[in-house]
Order: sequence, then C-alpha cells, then structure tokens
Amino acid sequence: MAHYLIVNSRDLQEYAGSGYILKLAIALKKRGHEVTLYLIENGVLAARKGAVANTGLTDLSKQGVKVLAEDLSLKTRGVQKLADGVSESTMDALADLVAGGADKVTWY
Amino acid sequence: MATAKKPMTITIGIATSSYQREAPTTVLRLAEKLLERGHHVNIWGFEEAVTLTNANQKDHSEPPGLHEVAGKQHTYVGKFVDGIIRAGLHSGALKWVSCILCVQERGVDANQMGGVVIGTFGDFWKFAHNSDRLIMIPTYR
Repeated sequence: MAHYLIVNSRDLQEYAGSGYILKLAIALKKRGHEVTLYLIENGVLAARKGAVANTGLTDLSKQGVKVLAEDLSLKTRGVQKLADGVSESTMDALADLVAGGADKVTWY
Repeated sequence: MATAKKPMTITIGIATSSYQREAPTTVLRLAEKLLERGHHVNIWGFEEAVTLTNANQKDHSEPPGLHEVAGKQHTYVGKFVDGIIRAGLHSGALKWVSCILCVQERGVDANQMGGVVIGTFGDFWKFAHNSDRLIMIPTYR
C-alpha cells in the first residue's frame, strides 16, 4: 500500500472539480492506502471553521485521511479557527512529505 | 547507527508567472526547504513562468500581503529566485531551465537571470525521467 499526498491549492468552493479531489482521497483511503490532503494557498479557505466546505474535510478526517493546512496560507488569509479534523502544518512538513514521507504526490 | 537518507531528486514544472497567482512563491518556498534538506531540485519553467526569471523584473511580493507575514526573505520573487539559485551551489543542487520557445515568444530570452539555462522539452523529459518525484503545478486561471 502507498502513501498518497494530495496537495490542494484551489478554493474548494470556487472550482467545480474540487469535489473530485475529496472523492479521490476517500477512494484511495478505502483501497487501503494512507492519504494526506494538504491544503495550501486558497485551498485553506475551506478549512475555516464554519465554512460550508468544512463538512467534506471533517468527513475525510473521520475516514482516516489526514487533513493539513499550511500555516502561512492560513495566516495571510486570517483563518484562525480550523474545522474539526483539520490540523495546522508547515512548509517544512510539506517538504518532508514530498521528499520521502509520501510515495505519490498530486498537486491540484 | 542511523543510515543517512539518500538525497532525492524532485522536478517541479510551473507555467505560472508573477501577478497571476501565489503558486510561484509556494514553489520557491518548497524548493528552498528541499534544498536545505540536501535534496536536488529541478525547475522547469515554461509558458508564463519564464518571466519569473527575468532579471529586469521589479521587486514584488506574491501575493502582496505575504511580505508582512513571511518577511523579506520570502517575498520578492526576483530576489527569491536568485537566492535559491545561489543556495543550490552549496546545499542540494538546483537546476532551473526556462523553455526556449516560451522565452522567445515573450521577449525575455536575453533577460534570463544568471544560473538559469534556456532549454527544451528534451531537458524537461530528462528531468522527469531521472527524478524521484515530479510535481506539475496546475495552470488554472
């Protein structure tokens, strides 16, 4: 089984295709893979507690997908409280995931 | 005794210029972290991204508000590019190739920063073929 890293830089509310990213994460998880969804740039907007897109992220987390949000992206966008199941992360963590922590990297 | 991890080679393809999205700054920040860890980074700049390495560009941060949060080191695109090219001399190796057709079409072939190589898709293929990771940054508008 592999560890999939999906980096999402797009606002999940704005892009119609974003839903497929969440479906992809779930599908990979159900097949027994380890999955990390890393939110960066406008991708962190969905992680703001109270946002409509929270539900999808919290559901992912409950199903075993690790959901992370990059600290600088959060700070520049004034996102202070995160949805349940989303953890704050760093560029250092992303670099560690890219270079060895994960087996496959997809950037959306 | 712990065995030192072998450096990886990561290729990043980007087609986004400044004044469009935050993606170039993200790529630069990620490349910096990878180089610090001793990994090798190849950057294939094509389409609009060849303007990132324009030596004549004015200092600007991307997005503008990032300056207050990230500090000067990480915000001005031109300086940041120059910085990681220099960092690639003494840490993990950095190779930055700008697409030849793209620089010619945009009139920046004579303005590329020192350390940037103007190359072809053949170079990109070799990067991709010899890398442990290939990351293509989406070019959505």
